[in-house]
Amino acid sequence: MSFETLTQEIDCTRETLKWLLTVAWLLPLFGFVVEVFGGYWGDRKCKYASYFAVFCIASGFICSSAAMIVWQDKTEWGERSAASSGHGAVAHAAAEHTEAVGNHEYQMPTSFTGSFYSLGKFGDLEVSLDYYIDSLTLVMFVMVTLIATCIHLFAIGYMRDELTDDYVDHQVHTSDGGHFHRPGRFYRFFSYMSLFSFSMLGLVLAGNIFQVFIFWELVGICSYLLIGFYVERKSASTAANKAFIMNRVGDFGFLIGLMVLWTYFGTFSFVTVDQTGQSDGGLFYMVRGHDGELQVDEEANAVTLHTNSEVPQQIPYYLLVVAGLGIFAGCIGKSAQFPLQTWLPDAMEGPTPVSALVHSATMVAAGVYLAGRFFPMFTPEVLLTIAYVGCITLFLAATIAVVATDIKRVLAYSTISQLGYMMLGIGVFGWGAGLFHLITHAFFKSLMFLASGSVIVGCHHEQEMPKMGGLWRKMPVTAFTMLIGVIAISGLAIPGSQLLFGEILAFSGFHSKDAIVASAMTFVSVNPVHFLLYIVPLVTAGITAFYMFRLWFYTFVGEPRDKEIHDHAQESPWIMILPLIVLSVFAAGVAVGGESGQLFKLLGDSEPIGVAAGTTDAGMIGLNLPGHAAIHQHHASAGVQALLVAFAGAVIAFLFYGARVVDPAEIKRNLGGLHNFLVEKWRFDELYDVMFVRPVHVIAAGCTWFDRTIIDGVLHGTVKIAIWMSGWHRRFDEGIVDGLVNLVGNSTFAFGRSLRVFQTGQLRQYIMFIAVGVLTLFVLLFIAFPK
Amino acid sequence: MTPILLMSLIIFLPTLGAFLLAWFDKKAEEAMRVFALAITIGTFFLTLQLYGVFDASKGLLTDGGENLGQLIVTEPWIPHWNIEYKLGVDGISMPLLLLTSFTCLLAMAASWSIKKQVKGYLILFLLLETGMLGVFLSLDFFLFYVFWEVMLLPMYFLIGVWGGPRKEYAAIKFFLYTLAGSVLMLIAMLMFYFDSDSLGNDRVFDLLRLAQLAKHADGLDPVLQQTAFVLLFIGFAIKLPAFPFHTWLPDAHVEAPTPISMILAGVLLKMGGYGIIRIAFPLCPYGAQWAAWALVAIGAFSIIYGAFAAMAQTDFKRLVAYSSVSHMGYVLIGMAVWAIHAETGELIGGDYWLMGINGAMFQMLAHGVSSAGMFFIVGVIYDRVHHRDLNKFGGLAGKMPLYTGLAAGIFFAGLGLPGLCGFIGEVFVVLSAWNYDKLLAIIAAAGVILTAGYILWAIQRVFLGPEYKGPHPEALSPMNGREIAIAVAVLFFAVLLGVYPMCMLGMMEPTLADLTKELQIGYENARDLIPVATEVLTEK
Repeated sequence: MSFETLTQEIDCTRETLKWLLTVAWLLPLFGFVVEVFGGYWGDRKCKYASYFAVFCIASGFICSSAAMIVWQDKTEWGERSAASSGHGAVAHAAAEHTEAVGNHEYQMPTSFTGSFYSLGKFGDLEVSLDYYIDSLTLVMFVMVTLIATCIHLFAIGYMRDELTDDYVDHQVHTSDGGHFHRPGRFYRFFSYMSLFSFSMLGLVLAGNIFQVFIFWELVGICSYLLIGFYVERKSASTAANKAFIMNRVGDFGFLIGLMVLWTYFGTFSFVTVDQTGQSDGGLFYMVRGHDGELQVDEEANAVTLHTNSEVPQQIPYYLLVVAGLGIFAGCIGKSAQFPLQTWLPDAMEGPTPVSALVHSATMVAAGVYLAGRFFPMFTPEVLLTIAYVGCITLFLAATIAVVATDIKRVLAYSTISQLGYMMLGIGVFGWGAGLFHLITHAFFKSLMFLASGSVIVGCHHEQEMPKMGGLWRKMPVTAFTMLIGVIAISGLAIPGSQLLFGEILAFSGFHSKDAIVASAMTFVSVNPVHFLLYIVPLVTAGITAFYMFRLWFYTFVGEPRDKEIHDHAQESPWIMILPLIVLSVFAAGVAVGGESGQLFKLLGDSEPIGVAAGTTDAGMIGLNLPGHAAIHQHHASAGVQALLVAFAGAVIAFLFYGARVVDPAEIKRNLGGLHNFLVEKWRFDELYDVMFVRPVHVIAAGCTWFDRTIIDGVLHGTVKIAIWMSGWHRRFDEGIVDGLVNLVGNSTFAFGRSLRVFQTGQLRQYIMFIAVGVLTLFVLLFIAFPK
Repeated sequence: MTPILLMSLIIFLPTLGAFLLAWFDKKAEEAMRVFALAITIGTFFLTLQLYGVFDASKGLLTDGGENLGQLIVTEPWIPHWNIEYKLGVDGISMPLLLLTSFTCLLAMAASWSIKKQVKGYLILFLLLETGMLGVFLSLDFFLFYVFWEVMLLPMYFLIGVWGGPRKEYAAIKFFLYTLAGSVLMLIAMLMFYFDSDSLGNDRVFDLLRLAQLAKHADGLDPVLQQTAFVLLFIGFAIKLPAFPFHTWLPDAHVEAPTPISMILAGVLLKMGGYGIIRIAFPLCPYGAQWAAWALVAIGAFSIIYGAFAAMAQTDFKRLVAYSSVSHMGYVLIGMAVWAIHAETGELIGGDYWLMGINGAMFQMLAHGVSSAGMFFIVGVIYDRVHHRDLNKFGGLAGKMPLYTGLAAGIFFAGLGLPGLCGFIGEVFVVLSAWNYDKLLAIIAAAGVILTAGYILWAIQRVFLGPEYKGPHPEALSPMNGREIAIAVAVLFFAVLLGVYPMCMLGMMEPTLADLTKELQIGYENARDLIPVATEVLTEK
C-alpha cells in the first residue's frame, strides 16, 4: 500500500471513530438537558424522561459498537497484536514505524488523536479539549454504554415508586411525627444518570490529562447528586458531601501532579500522532520515546525528555515520581483506595441503580482506568506504591465485607477490594491483567448490584441480610443471576475442564483474577522482598469467595428469618429481570478464552510500549518488572493456587451459612473484639474525624476569631485613639481657636440662617445635592480650565 | 459614533439618568425603577457597541497608541498640571467594562426589593455606575483618582442608608478602609507626578506616559518604584481584598442590600485587581518584581484563610463574603507569578506567567459572575424569610425546587466545578504557579478541598433536609419572573465562560502578552541601575 492511501485510510478511520464516539458522548448531555427541563414542567407520572434517557444511552451503545467494529475491521480482529507484522492500514503504520526504528520487539500501540477546541492559549502553551482513541477507549465506551443501558432499563422498574405526585419517604420523619411527603422525582433521577453517562464517556474519550481532570470532577459532582438523590435524608446528604470532599482530597494530589507535568512538559496531551500514526509528541512520547525506556541522566538525577527542539529538556527524577504519585492520589480518591476508602460504603445511600452504575462499574473504576492510561508516566517507585496501596485496600475491604450485614454494603466493600486487585495488577506490571479485571468486574459487579436491587425491591426496601433467607424460591431469576455473579467474582472454575474442552471452563472473573494473581506471583518471584504482594491477594481470594457465598447463602437459601418479609417478597417485573439476564450473560462470557480471548487481545492493542518485554533493575529502587514471557511461565501454578483458595473460601461459606454446620454466632462471640473492630470499619471514620474534621473546624473558628478580635481590634483601637486625640484637639479648639473663630462664626451664622431653608433633613434632597454637585463640579472644571 | 463620544456616553449616561431621575415624582417608584433599569440597559448596550469596535489584536495600550489604531482618546482638562481627560480600552479593561455594565444591569433588576427612599437609591446607584465605568476607562491617573472617589461616596450612602441593622458601623468601616487606601494611592500618584520629569519633559499624570517612563532605563528610580508599589499595592489590596485588609468586606456585605452586595462583589473588588494590573505593575515593574513573592504568598494565604473563615460562619451572607476573600486570592497569585533568574534577571517560563495573568483576569470575571450570583441567591431567600442564619434553613429544595436548582448551579460555579466559570480561572492560576514557587502553588491548590467543604456544607444546611427550620415558613414562595431571569442570566454566563473561556481569553491574551513583555523590559532596565543606586547610597 502506498503512503498516500495509507494516510488517507488512517484519516478516514480517525474521522469515523471520532464522530461515532462524539455522538455517543454528547447524546446523554442532550438527554440531560431535555429531561431536566421537560421533567420539571412535565407530568410527574409519565415515564418519558426514562425512555429518552434509555434512547440516548442505547444510541450511544450502538455508536460505540459501530466504532468498535470499524476498529476491529481495520485491525483484523485482534490478529494484529498476535502477528509480528500486520496487514491492516493501521497495523501498517505501526509496522512501518517499527521497521523505521529497526526494532521488532516493540510495537507502538496505535491510537487516533486530535483536538476539539482550545480552552486557552498562552504563547506556546495550549490547553484544549482533545480526543484520544485506542482500543482501551473503545472497550471502555462499549462497556460503559452497554452497562449503562442495562442499568437505565432496570431503573425504570426500580424507580417506579417515584412516578407519583405524592411520594412518601418512610425513612424521613417530619417534626409532627409523620412521614415525609414530596412529589416524585423520576425525571430527575434519569437526568442525573444521563449527565453522569456524559461525564463518564467524556472522561474516557479525553485526549489529555487536564481534560481527564475536568470530567473527573464532573463525574464526581454527578456522584454527589446521585448519592444525595434523597435530599431529605440527612444520611444521604452527608454521604454525598463526604464522597465529594474525599474525592477532592485525592484531586488535590491530582492537581499537584498536573502542576508538575504542566511546568516541565508544557503539554497535557497523552500522545500526539502524525499522519502516519507515529507518535511525535505528548507526555508519553516525551517520557518514553519510541522504545519505552526512561532516559535517566544519572549525573543530574533527571529524566531527559524526547523533544523535537534542540535544547535538551529534563525533569528531575523525583518530580516525575511526585507527578505520578499526584495523579495516582486522584485515582486513590476516585477508586476508594486506602486511605480514602471510607466514602464508598456510605455512598450506598443512593438508589441501587446508582450504586450499580456509578459506584461499582464505571466511576470508581475510572481511577483504575486512569492508572492504566497514565501507565507510561509512572516510574517503578510509583508502580510499587500503586501495588502496595492496592494490596492493603483489597485486604482491608475484604475483611470488613466478611462482617457487613447490609447487602449493599457487602457489595460496596467487595467493590473496594476488587478495585484494589486491579490496582495491584497494574502496580505489579500486569497492565493487561488490571484492565482486564476492570472490564469483567464491571459486568459481574453491576449484575450483582442490580440483583441486590431486585432483592431490595422484592423485600420492600429491606437491606439487612439477617432478615432475609430462602428467597430463591420467591425470586428464582434474581437468585440464579446473582449466583452467576458470585461465582464470577469468586473466580471459581471447573478444574480439569481444560483437558476436555481445550480451555478451562469458568466465568469472566476467574480469567481476570487469574491474570492478576499470576502477575503478582511473577513479580514476587523476581522481587522476593515484596512477597506480601502475592500472599495477601492470594489469601484475600479465599476471603472474597467466602463473603460472596456468605451473601448468597444468607439471602437466598435456608429458612426465611423474617416471615413477614419473606411472605411479601416477589420476583421483580421483566424490565428489571431482563437487564439481569443480559448482564449475567456478559458476566459469564465476556472473558471467554481468557488471555487468548478477544477481549484481552483487544486490550493488549493499547498496552504501553515496554510492558511486554519487562525490565530489570528499574528506577532508583532497582525494581525488576516482569515481562509477558515471565508471567506466562507462572500462569499455571498461580491459577491452581488461586482456584484452591477460592474453593476453600466457598466451602467454608457453605459450611457456615449454607449447610449451617458451624454456627457463625459462636465465632462472633469468641472473637468479639476483632468482630467489633471490623464492624466499625477499622475505625477509620473516627480516626479521620479526630485527625481532620475537628481540627478544620477549630482552625476555621480560629480564623474568625482572629478577624474579629485581632484585626478588627487593632482597627477599633486605632479609631479610639483617634477619637481620644480629637478630644484633646477639641479642648484646644474650643478654648483658644474657637474664641477667634466664634467672632467670624457669628457673622457667618447670620448668613447661614438664610440658607436654612435648604436643610430639610431629608435624605433624598441631600442626595440630589450630591448628584447635582458632582455634575456641577465637572461642568465647572471644564469651564474653568478649557484646554 | 466617535470613540470619544461613545466612551464619554458610557461613563456619563448613568449620571445623566441620575440627573433626570431627580425630576421624577417621588411617588412614581415603579416608573423610576423602570427608567433606571432602562438607563443601565442602555449603558450595557453602549459597552457592547464599544466591544464591537474594539480590536483585541491591537494589544496593550501604549503611549501614542492612538496612531496605531488603538482606542485612546485624549482631551486636555487642566492643562496647567497636564491633567487630561484621557480614556481608552484594551484587553484588560474591555472585559471588565462588560462585566460592570452587565452586573449593574442585573443589580438594577434586583433592586425591586428596595422599598425605602427609592428615588435617592436609584440616583446613588447610577452615580456609582458612573464612577465604576470611569475607573475602568480612565487612562489619566488624576482622572482615575477622581472616579475612584466618586465611586466611594455613593457606596457609603448606599450601605449606610439602605443597609441592615449595623449599617452605620459597616458604612463607616468601608469608608475608612477605602479612604486609607485612597490616601496611599494619592501619595503614590504625587510621587509619580513629581518624578515624571526625569527625562526633561513636563510632569504628567498620563498612565501610558508614566508606564513608558517606568520602562525606560533612566525613567523612574527603582527605589521610588519599590516605595510606590507598596503604597499602591496596599491601596488596591484593600479593595481586592487581601488578608489582612479584608475585614471591611464581611461587614459591608452583610449590611449592604442585595443589589449593592452584587455590585460590591461583582465589580468593586475587581477594582483592586484592575488597579494592580493597570497601574501598580506597569508603573513600577521593578517594585512589582521585587514584591512578587509577597504578593503570591498573600494570595495563597488569603485563599486558605478566607476558606477557613467561611467555614466557620453561620450567616449565609458572611460565608459568601469570605468566599470572595478566598477567591480573590487567586487573582493576586496569577498576576505575580513572575519568575526570573536570580542572577541574570531573565524571565523563566514567561508563558506560565502569561497564563497566570490571564487566569487572574479570568478569575476576576468568573468571580464577578459567580459571587454576584451567590449574593443574589442569598438575597432572594432573605427577602422572603428575613434572616440569614445557616442553621435555621433546610428543606428549601422541596419548597423552592427551581430556586434550588439555579442556586446549586451558581454555587457550583463558585466551588470551581469544571464546565462553570470558577474552574478555569482557579485552575489556570494554580497550574501557572508551580513555575514560580512550588510550596505556594501547593498551598493554593489545597484551597480546592476547603472550598468544596464550606460550599457543600452550606448547600446541605440551606437546601437539603426534610424541613425548613426557621421563621416565616409561609413566606417561602417560588421565585418570580424577574428573579428567575436574573439567576438564569448569571448561570448562563457561568456556563458560557466555563465551557468556552476563549470568548474572554481571546480578548485578553494579546494585551496581556504585551504587558508581560513590557514589564520584563522595564524590570531589566531598572535592575541595571540598582548597583549604581546602592553605591550612591553607601557613599552618602
